[in-house]
Amino acid sequence: MRDITKVRNIGISAHIDSGKTTLTERILFYTQRIHAIHEVRGKDGVGAKMDSMELERERGITICSAATYCDWKNHAINIIDTPGHVDFTIEVERALRVLDGAVLILCSVGGVQSQSITVNRQMTRYRVPRVAFINKCDRTGANPDKVIKQLRDKLGLNAVPIQVPMGLEGDMQGLIDLVRMKAVYFDGENGDKIREEEIPAQYQEECDIKREEMLDAVSMFSDELMEAVLEGTPTEEMIMAAIRKGTLDLAFTPVMMGTAYKNKGVQLLLDAVVSYLPCPTDVENFALDLDHDEAEVKVTNISSDPLLALAFKLEDGRYGQLTYVRTYQGTLKKGDSIVNVRTGKKAKVGRLVRMHSDDMEEIDEAGAGDIVALFGIDCASGDTFTSGSDYNFSMTSMHVPAPVISLSITPVDNKAQDNMSKALNRFTKEDPTFKTYVDQETLETIISGMGELHLDVYVERMKREYKAEVTVGAPQVAYRETITQRAEFNYTHKKQTGGSGQFGRVAGYIEPMEEGEYEFVDQIVGGSVPREYIPSCDKGFQKCLDKGALVGAHVTGVRCAINDGASHAVDSSDIAFQLAAMGGFKEAYMKAKPVIMEPIMKVAVEGPSEFQGSIMGSLNQRRGMIIGTNEEDAYTVIEAEVPLSEMFGYSTDLRSLTQGKAEFTMEFATYRQVPKSVAEELIVKAQKNKKS
Amino acid sequence: MQKQDLIEKNPIRHLKGESDAKESSRMGLVMARAGVGKTALLVQIALDSLLQDKQVVHVSVGQSLDKTKLWYDDMFKDIAECCKLDNAGEIHDSIMHNRMIITFNESRFSLAKLEERLHDLVQQNVIKPSCMVVDGLDFGHTDRTVLEGMRELAKSMDLQIWFSAVRDETSEVLSPAGVPAPCNAVEDLFNTIVLFHPVPKSDCIDLKIVKGSAAVSKCGKLLKLDSRTFMIREDCN
Repeated sequence: MRDITKVRNIGISAHIDSGKTTLTERILFYTQRIHAIHEVRGKDGVGAKMDSMELERERGITICSAATYCDWKNHAINIIDTPGHVDFTIEVERALRVLDGAVLILCSVGGVQSQSITVNRQMTRYRVPRVAFINKCDRTGANPDKVIKQLRDKLGLNAVPIQVPMGLEGDMQGLIDLVRMKAVYFDGENGDKIREEEIPAQYQEECDIKREEMLDAVSMFSDELMEAVLEGTPTEEMIMAAIRKGTLDLAFTPVMMGTAYKNKGVQLLLDAVVSYLPCPTDVENFALDLDHDEAEVKVTNISSDPLLALAFKLEDGRYGQLTYVRTYQGTLKKGDSIVNVRTGKKAKVGRLVRMHSDDMEEIDEAGAGDIVALFGIDCASGDTFTSGSDYNFSMTSMHVPAPVISLSITPVDNKAQDNMSKALNRFTKEDPTFKTYVDQETLETIISGMGELHLDVYVERMKREYKAEVTVGAPQVAYRETITQRAEFNYTHKKQTGGSGQFGRVAGYIEPMEEGEYEFVDQIVGGSVPREYIPSCDKGFQKCLDKGALVGAHVTGVRCAINDGASHAVDSSDIAFQLAAMGGFKEAYMKAKPVIMEPIMKVAVEGPSEFQGSIMGSLNQRRGMIIGTNEEDAYTVIEAEVPLSEMFGYSTDLRSLTQGKAEFTMEFATYRQVPKSVAEELIVKAQKNKKS
Repeated sequence: MQKQDLIEKNPIRHLKGESDAKESSRMGLVMARAGVGKTALLVQIALDSLLQDKQVVHVSVGQSLDKTKLWYDDMFKDIAECCKLDNAGEIHDSIMHNRMIITFNESRFSLAKLEERLHDLVQQNVIKPSCMVVDGLDFGHTDRTVLEGMRELAKSMDLQIWFSAVRDETSEVLSPAGVPAPCNAVEDLFNTIVLFHPVPKSDCIDLKIVKGSAAVSKCGKLLKLDSRTFMIREDCN
């Protein structure tokens, strides 16, 4: 079994058009996973991305697949794909869970852009150590110093260069490594022959200054280095150890540079991945103890302990479902039986493979901290596998955020109908935030998720991967209803007009609750409602929550309490008390002043300063509450909270408003009460729908 | 407690010079050494305007948007808790619509840019502020002309502007009215200048009005504030 300290599970995170595909290509080339370099040629962001997809298809490689494995200097590197968009909250979260470290790629001209900010924030939240790589130093206008400053100002990273470029733009010759104080050249047609020389005289002074700065910054993390620096005798090992420590503590971000396209700097980046990014044992991971209210328990990373593995991505391959798993502790062995914690089902490990860029390798076992793929295991993504049913731990919380937006889809013909159901089946397994159901009233298929783009992507995938043409309805926002004050009820359900009768009386109150969706309180004393019918009341209340009386939205934040009632010796039944509770709820609901809540998104728009006025105007028009603006060099970031219902089609508007120069990101923030005028509109609309 | 009571308990009542005929187009300055709560006092000034349904622009130099927003949320929460404000959530949501934060990196602040932004805001009908607070401006490196420009701006946009400044403790220089460095030379540009410092071994803050607002309350020129909410303490007199 491999040495766990020689495993690196890393993600490559990049803004569109900063060269992620090219860099990944080069990495695979230098690690001898592929044997020729193919170029992605796209002048604009969209083009490059599409190109890379086409390229992948054509060549059948899986750069974009969940995990690609390669070797570098005796270390195993698993490169995990990190989706960049915040709409895929769960997917991003999961990708960030399984990686131990990340490479942040930035364009030396474009610098830090809004998407990088969002991804960086998420990485900080999940405590992912990272190194930065400033790519495209050969481009006109390349300015690594500016990008480093942005890393500090915009991302708040303690970013310090550990290299100095020899020349920029067209005449970039190589890099100077400030740790070893050597000039490195990348010779040969593909830059695969590395030549090290003394630092050329014209760079000596700059390097001395930059090295001094670097030593200043990293000596904070090592007393030993600090002393050595004072005495003037720091060694390579000391510096590297200090950089590693700072990086792992998330207190330091080493910055490297180069140009993947011109084959410069990639090998040094790989060296840095191996030297500075954590191995699985350097990172603390936590499992949730399902027997103890999801309390956090540290995983041991020991291969001989009971198994804990997370399925983080599913893929439909030629040979059935391919499940990517990361083992956190224990060993995954061929022939072993494992248990899916969510379903409690046992499964046998059939084929176990390691994914390479263009093929896969059969293996017999995978130790703690490794990333491998399983064949023929039925599970959903996010499921945890353990070695036995008595070991009840989960790597992910069982709580999934509720979707905020939905739309109806209708297949165009019968064939599409079949394919659509196949696709939906797959997607719901892959992504717990993606839900689908059939509306009982309209009989339409409804899909719901975390944002407009989230659903767009799935509709697109349905067309491409499953050939399911569907027509899409207008997106619907998931409104909610809640009450604002306490109201009492006292309701008797009585139907005693022949035949077996029904009788039940319940009295109590409903009141708003700050946190949580629903709570049932039993305050019955003296048995006025018989014990056996109390769960019936609970059930009755819960039935009322599905559709509120205002606009038929889900009702949340309600505490229902019963404190009195009456029963009949013969005519009382489960259903009678359910109906009584439903009646009571309905009686009290309107008295409790219900209001409509809508999802509010946190929106950040980034664009050139000259458009700032019109961007703000556009947000204002959409009932946005502008929180503020942040002035950068020539552009401005505007942050606002905008109701989701107003954000439909915003990307098109924004593009035409700013000549395509601005972009925005959006993530769910909170639910907030709908203003009166809008609420009235919604109620009228809901009533119309009901009638028709 | 109601919104109205909150407005009356605000120390700013005594600083803004209610008795003066014209409240707007004034400039105020709060000074203290680092870490005493200048931002908090500025936020309090802003909240006072917000609670009166006026609009406020908060200019923050060197602090991020999120942090600045947090100041407001925390401050409002503290005040709402201490004063047992009714329907705090609703009031919070409604007044924050009237606030707008503009942040600058330390090196990026310029009067011209700020002016442009403000005109944009007014033109796009996003906000029409009657009060602006400027936090984090480095007075040691700010030209007198910038402050004069600010005064012009206050006049032309009919605004009152409040600044915060860090007191330079290495310097003993005082202006005739008692304004310490680095603001001793620009004293004349401000209508109100306030110095404050925490009272040792208590949760009070002493607030001394060095200039302006002659017609202050019964407390004279010295106010005592609660260090958490920056509200006037009645028990401290």
